[in-house]
Amino acid sequence: MTIILGNLAICGALLAAGLALLTSLASLRFDRPSLLGASRRLMGAVAALLTVAGLALLAALADSDFRLAYVAQFTERALPIGYKLSAFWAGQEGSLLLWGWLLAVLSVLLAIVQRKQFGTEPAAVMATLAVICGFFAALLLLAANPFRALDEVPADGHGLNPLLQDPGMIWHPPTLFVGYAGFAIPFAMLVGALIVGRRDQQWILATRRWLLVSWAFLTVGIILGAKWAYVELGWGGYWAWDPVENASLLPWLTATALLHSIMAQQHRGVLLRWNAALIVLSFLLCIFGTYITRSGVVQSVHSFGKSLVGSFFLAFLVAGILFSATLLLARRRLLHSGQAITSLLSREGAFMLTNVLLLIIMLITLLGTIFPLLSQIIMGRSVQVGPPFYNKVVVPMSLLLVGLMGVAPLLSYGKPEGKQLWRTALAPVLLAVVACAAALTWGIRSPWALLATAIVALGAASLVLDLLRTWAQRMRWAGENVLLALLRVLDGNHRRYGGQVVHVGMLLFMLGVAGSSIYHVKRDLKLHPGQSATVGAYNLTFTRLDEARAANYTAVQAPLKITDTRGQSLELVPQRRFYDKSEQSNSEVAIHSTWKEDLYIILAGWEAGGSATAFQVIISPLVGWLWIGGYAMVAGALLCLLPALLPSRQAAAAPAELRLARA
Amino acid sequence: MQSKAKLWIAGSVLVCAVGYLAFAGVKRGWVYYVQVDELLTATDLRQQRVRVSGKVLTEGMAVSAGQLTASFQLAGQRHQIPVHYRGVIPEMFQGGNDVVVEGTFDGAGVFQADVLMTKCASKYQGKHPDSIAQGRP
Repeated sequence: MTIILGNLAICGALLAAGLALLTSLASLRFDRPSLLGASRRLMGAVAALLTVAGLALLAALADSDFRLAYVAQFTERALPIGYKLSAFWAGQEGSLLLWGWLLAVLSVLLAIVQRKQFGTEPAAVMATLAVICGFFAALLLLAANPFRALDEVPADGHGLNPLLQDPGMIWHPPTLFVGYAGFAIPFAMLVGALIVGRRDQQWILATRRWLLVSWAFLTVGIILGAKWAYVELGWGGYWAWDPVENASLLPWLTATALLHSIMAQQHRGVLLRWNAALIVLSFLLCIFGTYITRSGVVQSVHSFGKSLVGSFFLAFLVAGILFSATLLLARRRLLHSGQAITSLLSREGAFMLTNVLLLIIMLITLLGTIFPLLSQIIMGRSVQVGPPFYNKVVVPMSLLLVGLMGVAPLLSYGKPEGKQLWRTALAPVLLAVVACAAALTWGIRSPWALLATAIVALGAASLVLDLLRTWAQRMRWAGENVLLALLRVLDGNHRRYGGQVVHVGMLLFMLGVAGSSIYHVKRDLKLHPGQSATVGAYNLTFTRLDEARAANYTAVQAPLKITDTRGQSLELVPQRRFYDKSEQSNSEVAIHSTWKEDLYIILAGWEAGGSATAFQVIISPLVGWLWIGGYAMVAGALLCLLPALLPSRQAAAAPAELRLARA
Repeated sequence: MQSKAKLWIAGSVLVCAVGYLAFAGVKRGWVYYVQVDELLTATDLRQQRVRVSGKVLTEGMAVSAGQLTASFQLAGQRHQIPVHYRGVIPEMFQGGNDVVVEGTFDGAGVFQADVLMTKCASKYQGKHPDSIAQGRP
C-alpha cells in the first residue's frame, strides 16, 4: 500500500511538473494570465504530491515496514523513534526526496510571493522551477526510488549506521538541503528576468532575501556537520577537506560573495555581471557538488553505492552550464551597469576585493577536490593534494579576508577620503597592536597566532567603535537615554547590524580555528587500572574497564577521573559501543568543554582482559568559540531578515548626516 | 584610467601570490593515490610516500588495539602487500573491508603506514550521502 502510494505520488509529481512546464511555457509564449495561474496551481500539486510521498516514507519508517528496501536498509525495530524518522535522510533516495520536496515547497512559496505579478517574466520563472522539480521527480522515479520493494520481507532491518545515531545528524542534512534547494529560487528569478530581457536590474535585489535565508540554512548545515564530525568521528578535528565537505563549502563561498556584491549594486549600481554570474554559480555548484560526491568520479574516504544518480546529475549539470552560459552571454548587455569602481579604498572596492578573495578560495577548493580526476586525465595517475594544499592557500586568503572585514566598515561609498580614513582607522589599528603585545607577554610566539590575534582585534575594534560612534551620535541628536538609543540604533538598521553580527561570528569562528589548529595537543596513552598520567593541565586516573547496556548497543567504557590544576575534579567516560546490528564497534568520545579549551578523550583500544588500555587524549584550545561563532553568523543573518521591531519615532526627521552614517 | 591601472596591478599581484601559494601547496600536499597492483608495477613509487587502497585480508591479520598497532595483508586484484600500521585503529577496520593506507616501504618490503582510513562497508552504502566531514573515522 505504502509502496503503491509512494510511487503513485512521485509519478503524479512528475506529471504535474511536466504540465506546469507546458502551461508556463505557453503562458510565456502567449502571455495569458490564466495559463500562468494554472501553472502555479500545478506547482502546488507537485508540492502536495511530494508531501504525500514524504509522509508515506515517514509512516513506513515509523512503522518499521520492512517491505520497503529503504526502511530495511537504514532502520531496525529497536531503533529509538527519533532516529527511525531521521533515517528519512540517512540514505541517498530519502535525502533526494527531501531535496525535491523542499524545492517544490520553495517554488510554491515563490509563486505565492509573486501571485500579483503576471506576464512573461513570472512565467519563465515558473518554467525554470518546473524543470528543476521535474528533474528531481524523474530522478526519484528512475534512479533513486525510496519506495523500491523487497522481494522477501526481512524480520528486522539492518539498522542505522552507528555514526548517524547522533542528535547532530538529525538536523544537519535537512538544514543543508534547505540551503541547496534555496539557491534554485534566485536562479529561476535570473532566468526569468534574462529570458524576457528585463531592462531594470531590480530583480537582482529581489533575490537577496531568498539568498540570505538559503545562506543561513547552509551555514547551520555546515556548522552542524563540522560539530557532528568532531563529536562522532573521533579524530579530534572538524574539517578534513574531504570532497563531501568541500561540496557544501563551494556554494557557501559563492553565496557569501554574492550577498556582498549585491550591496555594491544596490548602493553604487556596480558589479551587475558578477552578481548574475554568482547566482548561477551558487546554484550549479550545489548540483556539481552532488554530482562529484555521488558518482564516484572523485575518491572520497566515503564510498557511495554506484547508481544512475551520478549520470542524472551530470546530464543536468552539463545542460545547466550550457543553458546558463548561453543566457548570460546573449543578455550580457542587459547586465551592463555603466558605472565603474573607481577606487579599491571605497566600500564598493572592498566588496569587490571580498568577492575576489572568496572566489579564489572557492576555485582552490574546487581545484583540490577535482585534482585526483584532473591528474588522472593529464598524467594517467591519480594524485591527491590533501589538507596541506588547502591550508597553504586558504589560510592566508582567509586571514586577508577577515582583515578586510575589519577595515571595510571604515570605508565609505564612492571617493575615498584619505585623511578621514586614517582618522577612523587609527584607533582600531592601535588596539590591534596592543592586542598583539598582550598576546606576546602571554607567551604566544607563533607568527600565525599573532597575526590572527591582530586581525581579530582589528576587526572587533572597528566594529565596536563604529557602533559606539553611531550610538553616541544618536544620544546627542535624539536626547534618548543610553539603553533606548542603543536599541534604536540597532533596530533602525537591521541589515547593517545583522551584517555586523555575522562579522563578529566570523571573528569568533576564526579565533576557534586558529586556537584549535595552532595549539592542538594530541597524546597517545597506555594505562593500567589505577595508573594515572598528565596531559596539559589535566591529571587523568584510569579506574577500570566496565560494561554498560543500552537499547540497541552494549558499551565497553573506561571511566577516567580528571583533576585540573585548580584542583577541580570530574569524571569522563569514553566508550566503545557495540551495536547489535552492526559488525563494527563505534567509539563514543568523552568531551569536557570550557571557554578556554576542550579536553577530548577517545577510548582507542584495550588488551584482552582489560589490563593495558589505550587512550588518545586531545586538547583543543578555543574550539568552543568556533560553534558559537557559527551560530552568531546565523543569528546575524536572521537579524538582517527581521523588519524593524520598535515603533518608529522621528525616523523620518533624522538628519541627513545620521542617515548617511547608518547607511 | 589611472585608477584602472591600479586595479590591474593589485589584481595581478594577488593572482601571482595565489599562484605561488597554490603551487607550493600542491608540492607539499602531493601524494599519489594508487591501487595495490599499480603500486607494485610502478617502480618509481617504491621510494616515496603514497596512498594505497585495497582490501584487508582476514588471514594473517594481527591487531593490537592496546598497543596501537596492526599488521595485515593489503590485497589488490592480483597481488598483495604486507602492511604495518602504527596508530589508533579505526572503528570500521576489519578483515574484508576496503581501506586506504598512507606511508612508505621499509627496507624489508613492508609498507609502513601511519594513516589508516576505512571506507564504509557496503552495507552502509553511504553512511550519510550528504554528511560533511566524513574525514577520518
